[in-house]
Amino acid sequence: MLDALDKKLLKTVADLEDLPKGAYNIRKNGKLLHRQKSANINIETNADGTGIIVTIKPGTKNESVHIPVILNQAGLYDVVYNSFIIGEGAEVTIIAGCGIHCGTADPEGHAGIHDFQVGRKAKVTYVEKHFAMGEGRGRRTLNPTTKIFLAQGAAAEMELTQIGGVDEADRLNEATLGPDSLLLITERVLTDGEQTAVSTNNIVLQGANSRANMISRSVMKGNSKQTFYATMEALNKCFGHIECDAIIMDNGTNETMPSLKAKHPDAELTHEASIGKIASDQLTKLMSLGLTYDQAVNRIIQGFLK
Amino acid sequence: MLELKDLYFTVPEGGNGNAGERNIIDGINFNFEKGKFYAITGPNGSGKTTLAKLIMGINPVSQGSIVFEGKDISNLPVNERARAGIAYSFQQPARFKGITFRDLLSIATGVEEEKKLLEIISRVGICPLSFLDKEVDAKLSGGEIKKIELATTIAASPKLAIYDEPDTGIDLWTIGPMVDLLKKELACHSTTTIVVSHNRVFLEAADVILIIDKGRFVYTGNLENSLPLLADLSVCTYHDSCEGEENAGCLR
Repeated sequence: MLDALDKKLLKTVADLEDLPKGAYNIRKNGKLLHRQKSANINIETNADGTGIIVTIKPGTKNESVHIPVILNQAGLYDVVYNSFIIGEGAEVTIIAGCGIHCGTADPEGHAGIHDFQVGRKAKVTYVEKHFAMGEGRGRRTLNPTTKIFLAQGAAAEMELTQIGGVDEADRLNEATLGPDSLLLITERVLTDGEQTAVSTNNIVLQGANSRANMISRSVMKGNSKQTFYATMEALNKCFGHIECDAIIMDNGTNETMPSLKAKHPDAELTHEASIGKIASDQLTKLMSLGLTYDQAVNRIIQGFLK
Repeated sequence: MLELKDLYFTVPEGGNGNAGERNIIDGINFNFEKGKFYAITGPNGSGKTTLAKLIMGINPVSQGSIVFEGKDISNLPVNERARAGIAYSFQQPARFKGITFRDLLSIATGVEEEKKLLEIISRVGICPLSFLDKEVDAKLSGGEIKKIELATTIAASPKLAIYDEPDTGIDLWTIGPMVDLLKKELACHSTTTIVVSHNRVFLEAADVILIIDKGRFVYTGNLENSLPLLADLSVCTYHDSCEGEENAGCLR
């Protein structure tokens, strides 16, 4: 059964009030808590018992699968290997996420290693939220890895969010795009205090007419530090764009390194990057509508990370 | 309803290592009456936008006072002046990331309900309903963002509305209806209206023309009598390219 704390974590990372409809797999403290398959979505434990394999039947439409992870066991570092096989022409939403509650001085952490095989003309929306809370001072670590392979005409839209409370995050996103495929990644990370977050993104535009757009929005409060690496490598006629914006608050710091590699004469790659404080004209505008300084700051950050 | 008393805005004069001061607004006294339409005009760098920003509280008062509806607001911050009933439409509106026209309208009016927001847009009239969920970001054209700026100002139903160069980026066909809209708001709600502009259409619409030069009002009165002085001051025709007081590179 889900206890009150489980429910709070699930609500935050997966927007779930209770057990979801459709297929789901809820993992708690390194073990399966609940699982449900559907007619078109199969979930099974992988051969070595280190994670799950989620298989979406070809042609499946408008279905979703929730795979949240919750942790509240002191000293546990949970590593899970999950595979997603999305059949030809399927359209599916996968809602992942990890919520940590840390009640002691011992560290807790999770590394979700996810690989996606997205079939021809299939479309996947992947939503992942990371969040940590609790009165304990133990270090909370989240180190996710996402590897995605897009077949011809496939599309993937990935929303990766780290909301708060995570002391240390080291994320790796890797993608290989087949012909006519489309990848949209939006990453939003908020850090505070002494937290650090590193995001490394390697996107290979392999197929002709493949397209990728990577958007990164970072907010650093307190003394927190974020580092963002994004490499787009074009091996064919393709289009790629990286947009990374960082807002510094307090004494936060940021390093952003977008990198474009065109290895084909018809490749089109662009990037835009900015790091700075909240623009004063934005603050003045919102204050001229009646918000206080603090309300205006919150509204701008809320929008930026929306 | 708005009284400027011996108002100064002074900045340090930085040139050639000399530590001096310069009055951008140089002792203005004027009483704006409720429900009237005022047009402030004058050459580039004369202090038009600076004065408008002083009234809104974006620039701090160096000396003198601003009295709004009998209350000294000289030291009130921008947001409290907004709450007191003053709205300001920027010449170059801020662009955001992740903030929509809906968000700005909700903040300005306190209304969140979809139906009421759509009613407000219909009443204001300058923006199509489809604008509601547009992000107020760098992708908007100059005209679109200016329409959103105007609509947000009008939607707040202020007692005093200040428009800084409202026609910048607006197509010729929209300027006429825009003037009609400001006049309608004034007629329906007795909104005291101050427009900073060089555009003759706004000057013709105004009850009172205020010509500012070197930080002082050099003329207050009707349009007809102001024409010789306006010709003398050779009011700038490059206002479309002008980036305001902050930009030193005047195109003239």
